[in-house]
Amino acid sequence: MAADSVAAVGQPVIEWDTLAARARSRRRWTMTALYAFLIVVSVPILIPYLWMFTISISATTGGTDTFVLWRAVAILGPAVFAFWPLQAIFEDGKALQRARLVLVAVALIALAIFVAPHLHEHNFRFMWNRNFVDELRGYGGELIQQFPSVWVAFANSLLLAGAVMLIVVTVATLAGYYISRFAFAGRSTFLRSLLVLHAFPAMTLIIPIFLILFAVSEYGWILGEIIGLGTIGGVVLVICTIELPFAIFIMKGFFDAVPWEIEMSALADGASRRQAFVRVVLPQVKVGMFAIGIFAFIRGWEEYVFVRTLLQFEKSNWVMSLYLFWVADDIMGVDYGMVAAVGVLYVVPGLLLYVFTQKFLVQMTLGGIKG
Amino acid sequence: MAGNIRATQARQRANFVIFLGPAILLLFLFYVAPVIVNIFIAFTDMGSDLKWTEISTENFERMARKDRILTHTVIPVTFFFVLGTLAVFNVTFGLILALVTTSVQARSGAFFRAIWLLPRMSPSVVYALLWAWVITPTDYGLLNQVANGLFGLPLTDLMGNNPVFLIILVNGFIGASLGMIILTSAIRSIPEHLFHAARVDGAGGWSIVRHITLPAIRWPLSFITVYQTLSLLVSFEYIWLVTDGGPFYDTTVYALYVYKRAFFDGQYGYGAAMALVLVIVGIVVALMLWRFLDMQRLMQEPRIEVN
Amino acid sequence: MARVELNNVRKAWGETVAVDDLTLTIEHGELVSILGPSGCGKSTILLMLAGIYAPTEGELRFDGQVVNEVEAKDRNVGIVFQSYALYPHMSVRQNIMFPMRFKQVPANEASRLVEEAADLVRVGDLLERRPSQLSGGQQQRVALARALVKEPQLLLLDEPLSNLDATLRMTMRSEIKSLQAKLGITTILVTHDQLEATTMADRIVCMKAGRIEQVGTPDDLYSRPSSLFVAGFIGAPPINLLPGKAVDGKLNVNDFSLTCEGAAAGDVTVGIRPERISFAEGGIPGTIDQTEPMGRETLYVVSCPLGSIRVLEAGSKAHRRIGEAVAISFDPSDTLVYDSRTEALLGDVRARAPS
Repeated sequence: MAADSVAAVGQPVIEWDTLAARARSRRRWTMTALYAFLIVVSVPILIPYLWMFTISISATTGGTDTFVLWRAVAILGPAVFAFWPLQAIFEDGKALQRARLVLVAVALIALAIFVAPHLHEHNFRFMWNRNFVDELRGYGGELIQQFPSVWVAFANSLLLAGAVMLIVVTVATLAGYYISRFAFAGRSTFLRSLLVLHAFPAMTLIIPIFLILFAVSEYGWILGEIIGLGTIGGVVLVICTIELPFAIFIMKGFFDAVPWEIEMSALADGASRRQAFVRVVLPQVKVGMFAIGIFAFIRGWEEYVFVRTLLQFEKSNWVMSLYLFWVADDIMGVDYGMVAAVGVLYVVPGLLLYVFTQKFLVQMTLGGIKG
Repeated sequence: MAGNIRATQARQRANFVIFLGPAILLLFLFYVAPVIVNIFIAFTDMGSDLKWTEISTENFERMARKDRILTHTVIPVTFFFVLGTLAVFNVTFGLILALVTTSVQARSGAFFRAIWLLPRMSPSVVYALLWAWVITPTDYGLLNQVANGLFGLPLTDLMGNNPVFLIILVNGFIGASLGMIILTSAIRSIPEHLFHAARVDGAGGWSIVRHITLPAIRWPLSFITVYQTLSLLVSFEYIWLVTDGGPFYDTTVYALYVYKRAFFDGQYGYGAAMALVLVIVGIVVALMLWRFLDMQRLMQEPRIEVN
Repeated sequence: MARVELNNVRKAWGETVAVDDLTLTIEHGELVSILGPSGCGKSTILLMLAGIYAPTEGELRFDGQVVNEVEAKDRNVGIVFQSYALYPHMSVRQNIMFPMRFKQVPANEASRLVEEAADLVRVGDLLERRPSQLSGGQQQRVALARALVKEPQLLLLDEPLSNLDATLRMTMRSEIKSLQAKLGITTILVTHDQLEATTMADRIVCMKAGRIEQVGTPDDLYSRPSSLFVAGFIGAPPINLLPGKAVDGKLNVNDFSLTCEGAAAGDVTVGIRPERISFAEGGIPGTIDQTEPMGRETLYVVSCPLGSIRVLEAGSKAHRRIGEAVAISFDPSDTLVYDSRTEALLGDVRARAPS
């Protein structure tokens, strides 16, 4: 009826108050529906992570003692999602802040009373006891020592991720600068091929990559020891190569954004192009180098399929993903708590890195897509 | 003068080697060479001893005619998996998440997007482990604790009863976030005035989405569709970890089948032949994706002419 | 056509206040211009009237009814943005048709209205083009047609001319003005260009930092600017503002004493428009410092005991030379005296040059 009166020509009688009331209720309902939707679809993601975390610090029987989880959820769930309704109730900024502080305090106290007494670190004993599997399975006598120490795997993961990061940053920075700033025969062909590689799924090449690394081990003399099958070096180079097209594009984008004039004036001031690159241009693209470095590190830290295929013959070269996989494979039915604890040790460094650098990474993934 | 020119050329060559040499070497070693090796191996009978005795098209005949598992189970499963994941999660749900998180307050939107990025950002082994807990068919399983404990439904075994549905869920929770991020930034880059103008012109929430937002993001949307089709076609990591292709071959997608034939059964020649199909699809799709990039901008000529 | 009222309207985002305690009434069919430097809150007012932003405090009324919470789509308002905001994926016809989608108008009636609106702003022959195929001026007209097609009760123009080149701007200025007069639609024009405001508007609202400085006809604002800000903002070349001190019936500016007519004390600023100063024998002596031929007129900068004074004289030739000795004079009724501290006009104070 409101719409009719608007359309009527001549003397429009507009019921402003009705329109306002309608707008008010529609806005409230829309917002409620949107937030309800987001909460409903997000809870199923959060709960398993919370589960892994609580089990790792609470399970005692070897099974999944879930009452701690549900207690924690019963306290944290309402607390986290009460954040939004509070906004509607307290319109003044200071009162809202105070209400939120109270909420946090109540939640913490509740956790301390109902959850804290059940927490313990026993599930993390794999960190100092290498023979936990044998003990769990109740072997007497001679120890099998099926797994390397977790710290070997942790160090290997750090080494692998760190090496991937260093190589990707170095190689991609050099290449990105060259294709951004130098004219050379075949430049556009190179760029186009790089684009194809960027989208091309490297996973499809895993068989020939395996064979190439095998050939290096067999016929590569000393090289076989460094980058052959079963070596960390080999996996590092493979992962680096897969990351390269993307990293080179990101770096090219950053170099493209450096004004030509500053490089020109460096040349006019007497620098060579290499000097201009190091002294003047590199400092401008630090952000880009940092971003692709983080990306490469996380990629190396999380890799599974390639390490499983190319690395698992050498136990001393295991990384965290292999360690967790085999621990889970071996004692999943026996001690959930410890599997969860290994998972926590593995997931936390990557997640921390992600949380602190999230803004960068999200921007970076968008490189090169037409708007 | 002649000496000068020679010196310049030498410097140019040295620059090329220093700056581009490492990248070209790596890309050749692990992209170009593998493609060549793969083409060659595909025509051999290479087995677990990594040696070959004859060169023939036997592998391809086997794929087309003799391998009933491939043609009757693996390919249909792959088809449903890719189509289902793409349609439900990677495109539709990614779009919904992008639309909803950009409609609410900015901070809350970022919060929910961060939650949805969690699976993508955690190691695949951990993610798979969580799924293993969720779907445990006993009353230890998270799903059963909620369905059985909270709603009184009977215990379910997702892996046993709906395995394809399960792998769609497993991949979809990760796949949706890429679409979400790319589309969020596409929506953000629509000039705000267009939304204002549309509201003043009388459009409500849904009309704005239909007439302003969707037309403005159709390029990124088609990019995601093409790109994710390819990713899903070649991905097997999560399926391998969660269901290991089972029960029987019910969730063995093409890429996982290739991997298992090669590395578990030692049929490297046959595996390479099947992988060749993926390599060709990969190259074709990658060429298609060019259309989505702003070539003009990428190809801008350098402005300093001395080296 | 609506009568629009803003009562004590305030708009703030956290600590940032865009509009503060603003009260203003716009009558039926009036063309009012909101004038001010960028960031003074003028566009915020427009977006509040359009229903995009909600006021933090105060009331917006259309024809006496509060509309604060009415959605944009229900307000029946037309708006033209500085960027035109044409929908890039729609043709001109679809763009103009867009508002009609949301009205209960039969299809053939709607397309007739679209063509009428297009003809009104003379883009009738461009209907099948895309916005990207149009020049800036054409896009502007299409945006205008889209705003007018639904016969809005209020037309809002947000810097509509500032993306056009100088000649086109002049044409569009008069076109919009005559269109508005013909349709009799209540119109609010936001601009930072004082020429645009003074040539087009019935009344001007001059704003500074979220507050109204002065409301009045273009002539009011030009001849009796009520504050130093308005005096300085309106008029080109800008008014001469001479800081001085009022002591015992004298206005001391630099080394020179003017006679003060009316009661003033303390720090004051004397304002005289360049075109109100003339060269005359027996005036205040000075020398020509700079000449700027501007076509029809010539602007001189004269250095005299009052300081550097801009003088605008008719005549295209700079017939006076730099260094030439001159004498300047002005009529006391053309002087404006402001309190330097409050920046307010001292309405009954005049400055007279001693003779």
